[in-house]
Amino acid sequence: MELTVNSVSRTVRSAPLTSLLTVLREELDITSPKAGCESGGCGACTVLVDGQPRRSCLTALCTLDGSEVVTVEGLGTPEDLSRVQQAFIHHYAAQCGFCSDGMVVAATAYINGGGSDDAGAIREALAGHFCRCTGYVKILEAVAAAARGDELDTGTTASSANNTYVKISEGGQT
Amino acid sequence: MKVVGARLPRYDGVGHVTGRTTYVDDVRLPGMLHAAALRSPHHNARITRLDAGAAEAMAGVHAVITHADVPLLVYGHLSGGGIPGDEPLLAKDHVRYRGQPVALVAADTVDIARAACAAIKVDYEELPALLDVRLAFDDGAPVVNDTFGNWYDQYEGNLDVRQIRKGDIEEAFGAADLIVSGVYRTQSQEQVPLETQVCVAIPEPDGRLTIHTCTQAMYFSLGVVCSHLQMPMSEVKMVGGTVGGGFGGKVDTASDPLTALAAQKSGRPVKWRWSREEEMLASGNRGPWHMEIIDAVSRDGWILGRKMLTIHDAGAYGRFSVYGVTKHSFHHTGAYTIPNLHFDGYVVFTNRVPTTAMRGYGITGLATAIEIHAERVARELGMDPYEFRLKNANRVNDTSPNRIAYEDPSTVEVLQSLASATGSELSEELRAMSRDERSGDMLPDHLVAQIGSGGH
Repeated sequence: MELTVNSVSRTVRSAPLTSLLTVLREELDITSPKAGCESGGCGACTVLVDGQPRRSCLTALCTLDGSEVVTVEGLGTPEDLSRVQQAFIHHYAAQCGFCSDGMVVAATAYINGGGSDDAGAIREALAGHFCRCTGYVKILEAVAAAARGDELDTGTTASSANNTYVKISEGGQT
Repeated sequence: MKVVGARLPRYDGVGHVTGRTTYVDDVRLPGMLHAAALRSPHHNARITRLDAGAAEAMAGVHAVITHADVPLLVYGHLSGGGIPGDEPLLAKDHVRYRGQPVALVAADTVDIARAACAAIKVDYEELPALLDVRLAFDDGAPVVNDTFGNWYDQYEGNLDVRQIRKGDIEEAFGAADLIVSGVYRTQSQEQVPLETQVCVAIPEPDGRLTIHTCTQAMYFSLGVVCSHLQMPMSEVKMVGGTVGGGFGGKVDTASDPLTALAAQKSGRPVKWRWSREEEMLASGNRGPWHMEIIDAVSRDGWILGRKMLTIHDAGAYGRFSVYGVTKHSFHHTGAYTIPNLHFDGYVVFTNRVPTTAMRGYGITGLATAIEIHAERVARELGMDPYEFRLKNANRVNDTSPNRIAYEDPSTVEVLQSLASATGSELSEELRAMSRDERSGDMLPDHLVAQIGSGGH
């Protein structure tokens, strides 16, 4: 089975029904997709397959011959961060970080698809991605900032005091 | 001041968003084995046979751990603090909750380890289960805990209840214009960290152990591991601090001691990562609380006294519950000052998964009960709930149930901010209230005696 993973051609030898999550983590040692629930429920294993966000735990290897797979390692490096990665740092959107890989991948697909800073559209794009730390608000702020093209300084953290993304009067629920 | 007031970036932010952060499940080692647990299918049962021979003989299986392999089988999470141990690392004669580990297998793959677990022969004689704390005190109730019985009985050495006695409760109830009682029960709750319980243990050539742990409490877990394994702490190196969410559920030492034993027995690095189903079934959760509150109240809105009974569901073993109920007792007036108190709290054992910390251990369910109760009292008095809360709100030098003077209580400001944020109009009198030490209208006769008794 031939795959392109983060721009590198790989010959993969796992059994055909092996999940893409297991192939990435156990055969290729690419560990950013996380095994949160292994049943498609939490979003932590999300990767891009031919540009689309997919739950790697539910994606069988045999459906992927010739596909291009991108994980968060392929979106940017510490020296060359993508906009979404910069926004997650600046807006403190990664707390424990375990959901961040999947979140960053899904947000990248949303913005690459022309997504705006519209609150409802961002929520829809990240639906099915669980985060137990942040309460989601900072994640939504980060994606909106990346979508708007805000200036992002990864050497500092945005002030929540000036947060205009979600107000209590608007419900404050995500 | 380079740090205070500065908006510093997270030190681990770059790692978190580029896939570079190494969580325990991301640790890779040559020759690493994978573990799986055999768990009890019953809430309460006697084990009449445990035969791991077939599992040990399977190809690809490198270690099977049962109770006989554990140097110190029974230990308690608070044993270091003098609370007797009550929980076996692996079940021996009984299982006391569904999901309790009976054996651990380390094998070349997880699939082999799971198949080997299925090949372990265990015969159970099922026993009646106790699942409701309200039935624990009944004659003939199933006995849950082999060390303590159905409730913890060693507070202050020999008390079976955590007590708070403060002021003169009879006088308070004698002087009351209104008595309001309520029963509040909160349910159990799983913390659901996205990272399930996980451990990698490595047997070093010199006999020491290296353990990659997801614990929230590194030195605590070191003590639990070294106690079960009967090893000096100088021979165990714990590597941790990168936790994929815990929320209290990783204060308990869940996977480290067994993984370490499997690594020692097999002589190979071993990883044990729980499935989501195991996490939901068998990892410690926030326990249910049964709370009965009776308040003695004056017509003008002062809480003169509170009687409270709490029954905490510890699950099958003590873990931190004795601490949890003690903390609960210290907070049982919540954000309000009540000078006359009579509190009894019990740690009760049931055939449920042992319960543990979760975000405000002992307090969160309590706050729910206290605030619902406050709302009910205000309604029965026909008083604005903000006014009722603000009058009784903690102020500087008011004292907590355990007689600590509050130096910087925030209740008044929190209530005022809440009113503002939700568009509730407060009267000028309520807006003018502050946390300052009580005087004038805010210092009625029944509160005079308690001011300053906290050691100032």
